[in-house]
This record gives sequence, C-alpha cells and structure tokens, in this order.
Amino acid sequence: MARVEVKDISIDFPVYGVQRSLRKAFFERAAGGIIRRAGRRQAQTVVNALDRVSLTLEDDDRVGIIGHNGAGKTTLLKAIAGIYEPIAGEVRIEGKVTPLFDVLPGLDFDDTGYENIVTAGILLGMTRRDIRAAVPQIEAFSELGDYLSLPVRTYSEGMMTRLGFSVATTVEPGILLIDEGIATGDARFGERAARRMAEFIGRSSILVLASHDEDFIQRACNKAILMRAGRIIERGSVDEVLRLYRQSRQDDVGPARAGTT
Amino acid sequence: MQWEIWARLGWLEVKRRYRRTVIGPFWSAVSICIFVFALGSVGSSLFHRTAADYMPFLASGMVVWVLLSNTITESCDLFIDGANLFRQLRFNYSVLAYALIWRTMIGFLHNLVVYVGVALIYAPAFLSPVTLLVLPSLFAIALNGVWIAIAIGMLCQRFRDVQQLVSITLQLAMFVTPIFWSPGFVPEHGTRFFVVLVNPLYYLVEIVRAPLLGQVPSLATVLGVLLITVVGWLVTYQLFRRYRKRIAYWS
Repeated sequence: MARVEVKDISIDFPVYGVQRSLRKAFFERAAGGIIRRAGRRQAQTVVNALDRVSLTLEDDDRVGIIGHNGAGKTTLLKAIAGIYEPIAGEVRIEGKVTPLFDVLPGLDFDDTGYENIVTAGILLGMTRRDIRAAVPQIEAFSELGDYLSLPVRTYSEGMMTRLGFSVATTVEPGILLIDEGIATGDARFGERAARRMAEFIGRSSILVLASHDEDFIQRACNKAILMRAGRIIERGSVDEVLRLYRQSRQDDVGPARAGTT
Repeated sequence: MQWEIWARLGWLEVKRRYRRTVIGPFWSAVSICIFVFALGSVGSSLFHRTAADYMPFLASGMVVWVLLSNTITESCDLFIDGANLFRQLRFNYSVLAYALIWRTMIGFLHNLVVYVGVALIYAPAFLSPVTLLVLPSLFAIALNGVWIAIAIGMLCQRFRDVQQLVSITLQLAMFVTPIFWSPGFVPEHGTRFFVVLVNPLYYLVEIVRAPLLGQVPSLATVLGVLLITVVGWLVTYQLFRRYRKRIAYWS
C-alpha cells in the first residue's frame, strides 16, 4: 500500500547574492553573539515557496496540481520526492517514489542512445537487468532504429523527446510524480504516446501531476488541488477545481510572494 | 543499486573529459612524465642525489600528489556540478563523492604507469612484494577522499570564495609539502614542524609513496593517517548531519 502524507510543510528558498559569501559570514561570526543572528535575519532574503501545506494521498489517488506560475506546484512535487526537505512540517512516504522531472537524467550528448538508456535507467532506479529487458521495448516504441547507436547529439529535438519518453515510461512507477507533463513530439507519436502514458499512469499506485495542460489533467486525474502563493487554496473534483482556476485567472494573476523574513 | 550509480557517473565523467582523444586519460600521465624528467634532471643535481635514487622518489611523489590534488580540486565542484542531478532525482549525496573518488582513482591508475616506467628504468628493486602494500594505502586515501569531497564540496557550494582559497592553498602546498625533496632537507626545529609534522598532506602522500618505493610506511605515517581519517570523518559527519538538508537549497 502506498501513501503520501504531507503535514504542514513550509519551504523557503534563500536567495544568495554577492554579499552573502564567506567574507560576510566570517565577519558576522567575528562580531559574535546575538547581534549576528538578528543582523542575519534582516540581511537574508528568502522566497517563501510553500506555506503550511498539507496533503494526504492514498492508493489510486490521481491528483492534478493546478496553479499559476510560481504558485509552488513544482516545489510541492520536489518536497514529496524528498529533493527539498521542508524547514517546517514533515513528509511521510510509504512506497517507492518515481520523480519524472528530468526524463533523461545524466544525459550525455556524446554518448549513444543505448548508452544514455543505461545511464538514465540506472539513475531512475532500474537494475542493469531491468534495463536490458526494457531495451527491445524502448527500441520498438521510440522507432529510432539505427539512430540508437549514434551519439545523441545527432538527434533532432523530436527524437530526443521520443527517447526520453520511451525510457521514462519503462520504469516501474510506484508513486509517480510528473511535472508539466512529459512533452510529446510529433502528432503521430503523440497519439501512441498518449496511450502509453495512460498505461504507464495506470501502473502507478499514486499519481501527482503538475501541469498547465487542462486536458491532460482532466484525462489523467481523479482529483485536483489549486495552489496559489505557496498555499493550497482549493481541493476537490477536477472539474470543480478547474472551474475555480479559470475564474481566478480572470480575476488576477497572482505572482509568488517574495519577502524578507 | 548505489554502486552502479557511482560507478557509472564516475566512468562517464572520465569518458567525457577525454572524449575523442586517442590516448585518453594517459594524457595526464604524459604531462606527469614530462614534468618528472624535466624536474628530475635539475633536482637530482640540486639535491645531490643520484638519478637512480631521485627519479623514482620524484615520480612516486608526483603521481600521489596529482591524485590528492585532483581529489581536492574536484571536490570544490562536487555539489555545484551535481546540482542538476540531485535537483531532479532523489539522491544520496554521498554517491557523488564515491563517483568522484572512483574517477580520480581511475586517473591514478593511468598515471601510475609513469612511476612503474621510471622504477623499471632506474631502480627495479623498488618493485617488490612490499609494493603491494600500496593497496591498503590507496584504500585509506579513498576513505579520506570521501570526507574531503563532502566537506570541501559543501563549503565551496555555500561559500563560492572557498574554491579560490583551495586552489591557492594547493598551489602552495605542492612546494612546501616534501614531494620534490625529502623532509630531511629542512631544519628539524621550526620549518619541519610546519611542512612535515602538522601537514596532513605529507602523511597522505607518504602512506602511498613508501610502498611504491618498496618500503613499509613508518609507524608515524600510519598513525598520522589514522588520526586524519578519524578527525576528518568526525568533523564531516557533524557538518553533513547538520547541513545536509540545506545542500539542495544552496545550489
């Protein structure tokens, strides 16, 4: 049984500028004591990306995260993935998490398609044996043929997308996290990709999907949350949340809050 | 599997660096070779040592020094270059350190050819069963390399000035650490205290160099390395435990 439990998490991104380097920290330290702390608080600029967010997901939940740019969608996904550990609150995960933010991690343009399949596969948590078993499937689906033996730098953008998509969708997903939908190349591929994507998502225990593509969310998800300025402001059925989102889009365009703490 | 990840990442980096060259990592060996022969001819007369004595000494010192200095230099970029991986995937940061050690060791094995060649020419007797002690010594270097990579990697990622300081320090360290000259050359009281006795790099060089020259490392060397390992790991462990969470935010 898979489970995602996000409890009251907050994430601040410190913004480091030129002045916040060793010199400053060194002199602050030299000044010593309580003043340093107070001074430091004022000097440090942070972007508050998530503000007390809570979310519980269980088997067969397919959640679409909807929101404007900078609303905190990606940060929430990355917090669930364990990439950013929250400064407050906690994230509890039961089950294997597959974050698909980068479909070809470790990509080396001078390596061949086959070599990149191995690198990406290993980084996505597959064993060599899994990868070997998946290669025929990847060959067939990507339709790259002999190109797979050539360095990836000879590929067109569409071919790269096909390779990445084919590799990513062979992973055993578990709890699947997708950011912005894995873009899918040309139209003919698009249709097959959509089918493969549906099948891939079907194999996952939980899906969390952040996207601006309303159709994709409607197709893939059975619930949705709406985020704004680092908070979850609505949760419910996909249709309901999408309606609220369209409404809010007309009302205002809310940028992320940035502030000094 | 974790080891598959670091083995792959380390190897990829070696390949990437020497892509489309004919002799690949041996380029580094070529550069050491030229250096050793040029400095060796000057140095042997400068320090009044025979070529048979001085050349293997210099070659072994250089080969080990390059290993250490590469490890330290590349540690500076550990988390800066690694960011595009660990910001996309759930990642054990230590994997990046293992990959770094792995690739510097691959480089070392290529460079070792220079020493073996020099030893065969000038003093074949140095290559004896005792030389095999180099294996546990290299293990000790790898063990220390991991904490060095993590500690320096974190410092450099957070404070970008540290990288410059490290490169200046290393430049200087190459001359003040007994690599071209034996510790006996500096007065016992005073200078030797700083460049030998409290210089951790001296012990790390010496533990590998001694077996290469057919000697068992001295007790002082072994104890020195042991101390460096224990202290280094303790400090790094505290640092890592405390700031590990921040690494993703520092990039």
